[in-house]
Amino acid sequence: MRKLSIILGLIFAVLAVILSVLPLYKLAFIPAILAAIFGIVAFLKARNQDLPTHVIQVVFLLTIISLSLATYKTIFTVAEVGDTKELKQTEDKRKEEAKEELEDIIITD
Amino acid sequence: MKFKLTLLLLLAALTFSYGQDNRAFKAGEKLIFSAAYNMSGILTDVAEVRMETSEMNTSSSKLLHLKCTATTYSSFDSYFKIRDLYESYVNPRTITPYLYNREINEGGYYKFVKYKYNHKTNRVNSVIKKKTKNTASGFWDKKENVKINGGTKDIVATIYKIRTLDIKKAPIGASDSFTVLFDNKQTKFRFKLLAKETINTALGKKECYKLAISTSGTDVLKGSNSNLLWLTADENKIPVFAKFKIAVGSGELKIKSATGLKN
Repeated sequence: MRKLSIILGLIFAVLAVILSVLPLYKLAFIPAILAAIFGIVAFLKARNQDLPTHVIQVVFLLTIISLSLATYKTIFTVAEVGDTKELKQTEDKRKEEAKEELEDIIITD
Repeated sequence: MKFKLTLLLLLAALTFSYGQDNRAFKAGEKLIFSAAYNMSGILTDVAEVRMETSEMNTSSSKLLHLKCTATTYSSFDSYFKIRDLYESYVNPRTITPYLYNREINEGGYYKFVKYKYNHKTNRVNSVIKKKTKNTASGFWDKKENVKINGGTKDIVATIYKIRTLDIKKAPIGASDSFTVLFDNKQTKFRFKLLAKETINTALGKKECYKLAISTSGTDVLKGSNSNLLWLTADENKIPVFAKFKIAVGSGELKIKSATGLKN
């Protein structure tokens, strides 16, 4: 049970760190919370059995890093639209074409 | 008494069905939305959607240019870049469309669709263009003359047409349907007035009409009451909030700003 908790905790903690650096950083909260839960389970088991907790500390460290990064990005990241130069050119081109196409129409109603 | 009541309800339903002239928007209106996509239950803002109106003058007529664009935020551009343009040139009074353009660029996928309406013959000259490696020009073209029903509109004109409906006279539960031409196929979209709700938006606390949107004969929209639209319960009928559930997932559309309003 302790070993399984450590393995799952490590997997979720690494996943949380990866997600927290990607644009999908909000998703990092899910594996980070799971990593923390498995970390606590592993820590309690290790303490009861008087076993070393070095790897569990790594799980907690990674969890804290991912949670801090995801929280920081959630609060301070401002969503901005990227380069729209091409889209603007497309809009202008289509508008010119539309003007020519609509030259012959007569609105009756 | 019963007859009078039925007549009154029928009149109210008809009023919802046959909206009057456009009193909801004018040229120069700019609505900006933020689109969020649901990923594992967490909503992530992925794109900005703009709805703009402007005037288009030809030598013989004055048209209203309705333009909708969708652009992914810069952080998503390297993963899945979206630069979509949907536009319709309509009669400013009745929102009858005359020309429709759809040019989509979604993560490398390109498609261009053009409809030129002929309302006398109820036909549409359609051009569909896609990118392909199989031709020398790099494009695949399809030109078609499509027969449409009277009143069939494109998706952009339909969205704006809903705003011109006289919803305030419609009873809760009233519904209306519109035929939309999409990818050369006519699809029936049904709008049902579910309730009147007050919601918090970026424009402040707004009393809104809550409408449910459903389709028949296609599975573009999922669920019966999963696609919802909130329009402000005033003369402008601004779409302030929308929830959608489509084949590839679900999400929300929230208004960020609204300028150039008619009322």
